Amino acid sequence: MEELKNNIKSSFDKVKITITDNIMIINIDKNGIVTILSFLKNIGYKHLALISCVDLIKDNKLEIIYIVSAYMDNDHEFKEKEKRNIIIKTRIPRDKPNFMTVMDIFENAEPYERELHELFGIYFQGHPRLTPLFLELEYEVPPFRKDFDTRKFVKDFYEDIPAVE
Amino acid sequence: MNIIEIILSPLIALFTGIFFLGLARKIMARIHWRYGPPIYQPIIDIIRLFSQKAMSHGFIFEMGLILSLAGSILVILFLPIGTMCPLSTGGGLLVILYVMLLGPLGIALSGGEAANPNTSIGISRKFILALCYEVPLLLILLTVMTHYNTISIIKIVERQSINGWSFGSLPLLLSGISYVLILPAILGIRPFEVVGAAQEISSGPQAEYGGKYLAFNTIEHGLNEFIGIALFVNLFLGGGDLFGVFSRITNTVFGNIVGIIVFLLKMIIVFVMGLFINAVFPRFRIEQAIKYLWIWPTLLAFIGLIIVIIVN
Amino acid sequence: MDRNQLKKWFKSPAKMGHKYSLHAIYFCTGCGIIEVPPSITARWDAERFGVIPVATPRQANLFLITGYVSTKTLKAIIRTYEQMPEPKFTVGFGSCPINGGMYWDSYNTIKKLDKYIPIDGWIAGCMPRPEAIFVAVTHLWTLIDKDMANGYKKYREKYKYYRANQEKIFGTLDWPPLFS
Repeated sequence: MEELKNNIKSSFDKVKITITDNIMIINIDKNGIVTILSFLKNIGYKHLALISCVDLIKDNKLEIIYIVSAYMDNDHEFKEKEKRNIIIKTRIPRDKPNFMTVMDIFENAEPYERELHELFGIYFQGHPRLTPLFLELEYEVPPFRKDFDTRKFVKDFYEDIPAVE
Repeated sequence: MNIIEIILSPLIALFTGIFFLGLARKIMARIHWRYGPPIYQPIIDIIRLFSQKAMSHGFIFEMGLILSLAGSILVILFLPIGTMCPLSTGGGLLVILYVMLLGPLGIALSGGEAANPNTSIGISRKFILALCYEVPLLLILLTVMTHYNTISIIKIVERQSINGWSFGSLPLLLSGISYVLILPAILGIRPFEVVGAAQEISSGPQAEYGGKYLAFNTIEHGLNEFIGIALFVNLFLGGGDLFGVFSRITNTVFGNIVGIIVFLLKMIIVFVMGLFINAVFPRFRIEQAIKYLWIWPTLLAFIGLIIVIIVN
Repeated sequence: MDRNQLKKWFKSPAKMGHKYSLHAIYFCTGCGIIEVPPSITARWDAERFGVIPVATPRQANLFLITGYVSTKTLKAIIRTYEQMPEPKFTVGFGSCPINGGMYWDSYNTIKKLDKYIPIDGWIAGCMPRPEAIFVAVTHLWTLIDKDMANGYKKYREKYKYYRANQEKIFGTLDWPPLFS
């Protein structure tokens, strides 16, 4: 793990790496996501497990999180290839969240980015199909953001509908 | 006399077919260690279905169902039930063989009109299965016709009451075993339940039936089971007679009634044994069914045919 | 259980037929579907009441809505309910169709299902046990006896109110109105 850390630190600038319990967390600027993901894929981390997002309303930023891991191809190489999850975090501004899609590197990022688009309102440039995945209604404020008031929405929308006698 | 037989024969087949459906559910439930519905449950289902207002898909949708019902009732008029055979004088076996395919044809017509992809898959499976079991069935019928030297089914039944059951006579034993092997495919019970598979293709050709159409379909299903078992009992188990014991009282009314009762008892025994096989087997895929039905029963029937040709 | 009283059969065969042959469509809504297979198998046998699951809505006359209803599921429920032939009965199973249940302040679930399709009876619980399905079936028998289980007639008479509620949720619907 340490040699990987030194490897990355020497190739990129503006990174901050912490290792706790064999899990490496990389904080990087938002312009360097594509390069570091393709760098990690070339080393051997070929599996994109999750793309998630956290709403940091006090700093006025949205933090996008990528989790990659490696396939254990042969079991007898397990000890030397003890690759755990690598977590990559970036921050984008909250007012107009536009971002690049990573589908050129990992093709299975398509449903994760669709989900983030409908729940957080992030627009991914280059994504072929940004239609809603789970939701049917239209919301002004995307539902997972912290300034979406669920009780007010339920009272305004659902309780307004009259019962049939 | 003939009018009474023409009316009575389909009625007996109707009640026996519906009784078989109820008996099937009750025995399957008891095999599963639970109580089941009462034996008259299909009658309750049919009463409920006739009081529902279903949606029709067009003219061919309704007429296909009536065509299949008409075909089944026509076949029943040619089958001897005990000593009662309304329409067949000579050449009955060929007519049965030909008209037996009107049932699936009618259901296929109405299923094709329904414009549901599940019904189309169900119909294609039904026809492939019919093609698969027709080949050994034709060989078996050819064997029986060659052995008894006649194509009239009444004469076959009469000869069996003199000579003993076909199943027990040595040249026809292999054909009998082959017929037992294809009987689940004709009846549509497991392992050949590919046509009406409820879980895979949402019950196949009857996916669009509701209300009165489903009631007619249930009746048609019961009649099909009756025809399949009745043909077997008549050809191989000497239907309607018990080793020639009742041959002295054949032409009296009492003799007719006893013949019908013996026939129905034989059918119940065959059906219950088929139900035991239905309880333990899973469902074959259609290509496994083709591979099975075209190899083993066909081989046995073919060898049986050669044996009969050599003996006669 | 008056299934073997022949006089009642001759007086009104349709009602007795609907009581003792309730075929339920196998629609798996939410978390409550885990309670339906135990009630079909050998321990709590539902077939002795005449209740079996069937594959398509065209063959069914009982609709069990088990569990929470999200907005996407509501579209499927409306289409399935409109395909069933006419005397049909619905039962809301669990506390989520009653008033929202555990998801009472969620942005995507339906709080009261009664505003969108008519419902004949409710079963409370989260989840009710399989015996509760039998309590619902026997209660539905008494309702059918007294001619009180007419949710389908209410749907036919007040269809424009139901359709207006459905269109408030979804905007415009893809299918034309059922009763014009």
